[in-house]
Amino acid sequence: MPIATEFEYFAPASVRETVGLLSKFKDKARLLAGGTDLIVQLKEDVSKPQALVDIKRIAPLGGIKVQGKFLRLGALATFTELIESTVIKSKYPILWEAARTVASPGVRNRATVAGNICSAVPSLDSAPALLVYEAVVVIEGPKGSRQIPFASFITGPRRTVLAKDELVTAILLPQPGKHCGAYVKLGRYAGEDLAQAGVAVLADAKGAIRAAFCALAPAPLRSAKIEALLSCKKCDAAVMAQACALLERELAPISDIRSSKEYRLHMAGVMLERGLKAACSRLKGEGPDYGKHLI
Amino acid sequence: MNELKVVGHSSERVDSLEKITGAANYVDDLNFGPELLYAYLVESPCAHAEIRKINTAKAERVPGVVKVLTGKDFPLSFGLYMQDRYVLAQDRVRFVGEQVAAVVARDPKIAKRAAALVEVTYKELPPVLNQMDALKKDAPLLHPGLKAYKHVPWFFPKGDTNIAHWRKTRKGDTEKGFKQADFVFEDVYTVPRYAHCAIEVHGAVGLYDASGRLTVWTASQSPYTQRNVFAEALSPLGISHKDVRVITPYVGGGFGGKAGVSMEILGAAFATKFKGKPVKVMWNRAQEFYNTYQRQGVEAHLKVGMKRDGRITAVEHLLYWDAGAYVEYGANVVNAVGLSATGPYKVDNIKIDSLCIYTNLPPGGPYRGFGYSEFCFGMESHLTRIAKKLRMDPIEIRLKNAIKGGDTLAYGAHMNPNGLSKAIEEVSKEIGWGKKEQSSDPDKVIGKSFACFWKAPAMPPNASSSAFIKFNEDASLNIMVSGMEIGQGLLTSMAQIASEILTVPVSKIRVETPDTDRNPYEWQTVGSHVTWGCGNAVKKAAIDCREQILDLVHRTLHLERESLYLEDEAVKSRTKPGWELPLKNFVIPGIQAEDFTFKGGPIMGRGVFMPEFTSAISDPETSQGGHPNVHYTTGASGLTLEIDRRTGRMKVLKVVLAADVGKAINPDLIRGQVVGGMLQGLATVLYEDMRFDAKGRMLNPNFTDYKIPTVMDAPVETKTIIIEVPQPDGPYGARGVGEHTMIPAAPLIANAIEDALGVRITSMPITAEKVVAALKKEGKL
Amino acid sequence: MKKTIHFKLNGEKTSMDVAPNDVLLEALRANLGAKSPKCGCDRGDCGTCTVMINGRAVRSCLILAVEVEGCEILTLEGVSKGRIAALQRSFVKHNSFQCGFCAPGMIMSLTELLNHKPTPTEEEVKEAISGNLCRCTGYTQIVEGVMDPAVSKKR
Repeated sequence: MPIATEFEYFAPASVRETVGLLSKFKDKARLLAGGTDLIVQLKEDVSKPQALVDIKRIAPLGGIKVQGKFLRLGALATFTELIESTVIKSKYPILWEAARTVASPGVRNRATVAGNICSAVPSLDSAPALLVYEAVVVIEGPKGSRQIPFASFITGPRRTVLAKDELVTAILLPQPGKHCGAYVKLGRYAGEDLAQAGVAVLADAKGAIRAAFCALAPAPLRSAKIEALLSCKKCDAAVMAQACALLERELAPISDIRSSKEYRLHMAGVMLERGLKAACSRLKGEGPDYGKHLI
Repeated sequence: MNELKVVGHSSERVDSLEKITGAANYVDDLNFGPELLYAYLVESPCAHAEIRKINTAKAERVPGVVKVLTGKDFPLSFGLYMQDRYVLAQDRVRFVGEQVAAVVARDPKIAKRAAALVEVTYKELPPVLNQMDALKKDAPLLHPGLKAYKHVPWFFPKGDTNIAHWRKTRKGDTEKGFKQADFVFEDVYTVPRYAHCAIEVHGAVGLYDASGRLTVWTASQSPYTQRNVFAEALSPLGISHKDVRVITPYVGGGFGGKAGVSMEILGAAFATKFKGKPVKVMWNRAQEFYNTYQRQGVEAHLKVGMKRDGRITAVEHLLYWDAGAYVEYGANVVNAVGLSATGPYKVDNIKIDSLCIYTNLPPGGPYRGFGYSEFCFGMESHLTRIAKKLRMDPIEIRLKNAIKGGDTLAYGAHMNPNGLSKAIEEVSKEIGWGKKEQSSDPDKVIGKSFACFWKAPAMPPNASSSAFIKFNEDASLNIMVSGMEIGQGLLTSMAQIASEILTVPVSKIRVETPDTDRNPYEWQTVGSHVTWGCGNAVKKAAIDCREQILDLVHRTLHLERESLYLEDEAVKSRTKPGWELPLKNFVIPGIQAEDFTFKGGPIMGRGVFMPEFTSAISDPETSQGGHPNVHYTTGASGLTLEIDRRTGRMKVLKVVLAADVGKAINPDLIRGQVVGGMLQGLATVLYEDMRFDAKGRMLNPNFTDYKIPTVMDAPVETKTIIIEVPQPDGPYGARGVGEHTMIPAAPLIANAIEDALGVRITSMPITAEKVVAALKKEGKL
Repeated sequence: MKKTIHFKLNGEKTSMDVAPNDVLLEALRANLGAKSPKCGCDRGDCGTCTVMINGRAVRSCLILAVEVEGCEILTLEGVSKGRIAALQRSFVKHNSFQCGFCAPGMIMSLTELLNHKPTPTEEEVKEAISGNLCRCTGYTQIVEGVMDPAVSKKR
């Protein structure tokens, strides 16, 4: 299908130049990184910009590297780079596990993590992992740079805190202590699918638990109540029953053609339990390997 | 019979190099030069509405737009079995997405932009989005002109209703049959609509040249049927069959969706308005979903009577089909099921009613399985359920009733020889029937299931095949047929048949994709019939070549005719050991006689096959008296399913399918049909499903939300078993198997779920979510 | 509006004039005659438009032509330019295709895999083609084709 909208194409060499273009075109500009969402929107006339600003020529936006106390994912870091990064796999295995569930290799070779969070869809696979790792988003705009916790970056379905003249330049991951975890994803089948529910669980050596969810509420969320309930406890049937009851209050899934809210909620409980189980057994140095499907 | 050297052996595909190098051309790959025009459609946003006004002025003013076409430009109806469809909507639209107008421009972007500027005023009418609603007394009539539509003589439309065709089959006395039964079991099974999802979308390019000849390049299973439908529909323009040429390059998957004529009519008709300039119409993926053919949904009411010993005494099957806005092809699916909805069993008392019902959803039509998958879901679920009630083995029940060669069919004709019982026994062994399996995971349970299937090609009684074979100087061959290579390997099996007779190796044979100016007639590549029909024609053409060769050698070299035979690309004689005449020496130049003159000339064979024993004319109230089906391919299948009882998620550990193919021309190609067809079938039951909203809009016209299986979703193991009870009139005994491999998939899953979890699901698809809901309802979760 | 872009296609330097809204898939096919990448779904779901850019298999239907300035693009035409690769021969041997429409994309995705992992496991093969849809084969013969010792020698 051809793209009928006519627009100007810019490939700025710097973030400053990019911000300048965004300031000029405001909501008539769209940023282009991997393009795996944007090009579909252009073809289907969902988006009709006047300017496309391709940030792939801005070298400083690339790469995955240590920056002070953080690991910095440049805005151009693709899911494939994440998966192939030994640091990600060893230090942030939940994010690694989540990245492997995003679309398929041909899309992951192009799609960026930053682009993923900017899409702000409820089913955002990378979100639960970024939440449990307490990621920070670096934003540049005309007034300079600001950093905000990822937890407050997404404000609703397809909405973020980004102003029209701002862009995400990096995602910062604080160094986690010794931990294990899991990302459990529900799709309609074993193949590539958008998450109908996603649950990330992080368990540290002391038994503290973090838990975050996607596709189970208007925006991805981390639940302090669930974490308080599960931390430093033996997760037996009674605790899990309490957790399921709590999930009903904490989550707000919808029914759509992909799944019903009842099934999503039911599965959230099962996924949380299996994620916890996997995280705890991984902590003990037992399987299953990261990347194995847990449901 | 001599031992076969090529037929029955797996042979490298003749289209292999083209396809693995990217050299194979599909319709969108062809070049048409700088004059090419592009059409973009304006589509109905309403499921049911009158068209009040179309304003094309704004669109026509866009630079680069050549013309905007509307229904007024084509007051033409068309259709394969019933002429109820239009090139562009006339005064009324009947489904969301129906083509209302088209912008033709020099550039596809311009055409798309201008199409958004065409203003259509509609007066909305109440839509009928469900076949059961369409039957209600006060339901709006979709086709008030139904009574006047032209149709084949074996259709029975009910004027002033939404029933486009009603096939009734009556044999014996079902009331009596149910009285004889120890157990009568009734239930309703529902099947939604499905999409073919060939990876290549539909496309057509038409060129109407200055001399008045129309060439249409299409992605199609049916070049000759298209030529016929184009010529008939366009005859008001003075176009006759000889003026129409249809060229079909390789097709990127068909599955029935590219049979007949759907959007291709646009390429043909539009071209007539732009003499000398080719016009291209390519569907996008969304249109591929909502405006080609869809597999029809059905609500099937099934009643079966059985004796305590497992004998079926009567079958009543009442099938209500959601046939969509136009039924020109889909009505024949309904018809086919109306003749065969007992499954492969000998039943003395039968009552089948198969109703083709108009709805304001996209047109229904042919889909691999042609209705048999749909009724098989109910029938094969039913038999397993009855077996459970009677505490009998479900396989024993099927064996007891399995139809045999010579048994009387529902419509009075006799069943062909078949290996159904053998298939049942082989599958039973291979799947380890009776052996309970346990998962090592406490959350998972394993179920086993069984289902039989059958299917006959649904063809007009005079659907024929033909073939030409011509030799080249080096004794290589070109075979020309109009059977279509849609992936199944037809070209290869045709080469194998010719190779067997003419002893020319398959590697020296090229089989051409159809061009109706050059390749001879084939009705269509549908119904799993081309190996049989086209194969017979090719075999006859090869024999024709061989006879010409032997006659020539006999006549010129004075060798005893009966002693001559072909071997290793040469003529040999049983009475002159050591003598041979290589074919390449004479198949073009002829044989030089003693007087230095040349005899013979290019060897060319022709073969024609017509199933001369068939007839579609029978009593409309009972279907008795005709012989509508050429033969049935039968078989059996078994499946081992692992289910997570907490999530409902399922994994097929093993599936076995045994089909009686008569004779496997190429066993590897048959395995390809089984492995691929079975996965397609499993997908229809496990997750595929067309969804529509309350206004008739399709909600998932893309692969993001209409999930077709990936490599991750394939069964752990698919086992193919080939049974060979020869078809007396088949080439080397062969009969078709292309569709059959997906038919039993749905009941296999439903039966396995019941075996594992004790819950029965009677509506497709059977998703993980539905399994959980069923478990919760029964208090098992 | 149009802009000339320079890049390498199948090892040869080339250029083409493109509009900002030209999609790479269509530009390769219409302007440069590289017809092996095909359009199946137009939104990245089916993988039949797969080409390699700088050694990575990507969806050419989700990339604008202007984005490939200075890149190296490989299509199946380029893979087939020299001799037929072991993977392609194995596809023939194992009947790893039927209608053939998905074959170019499959082969490109698998070529990327084999370049990075010459002896992949069956799981890795499946992962590599998990975004390449095939409606005909049921995939088994595709996986068998890659796992043939002639393609991936050691396991």
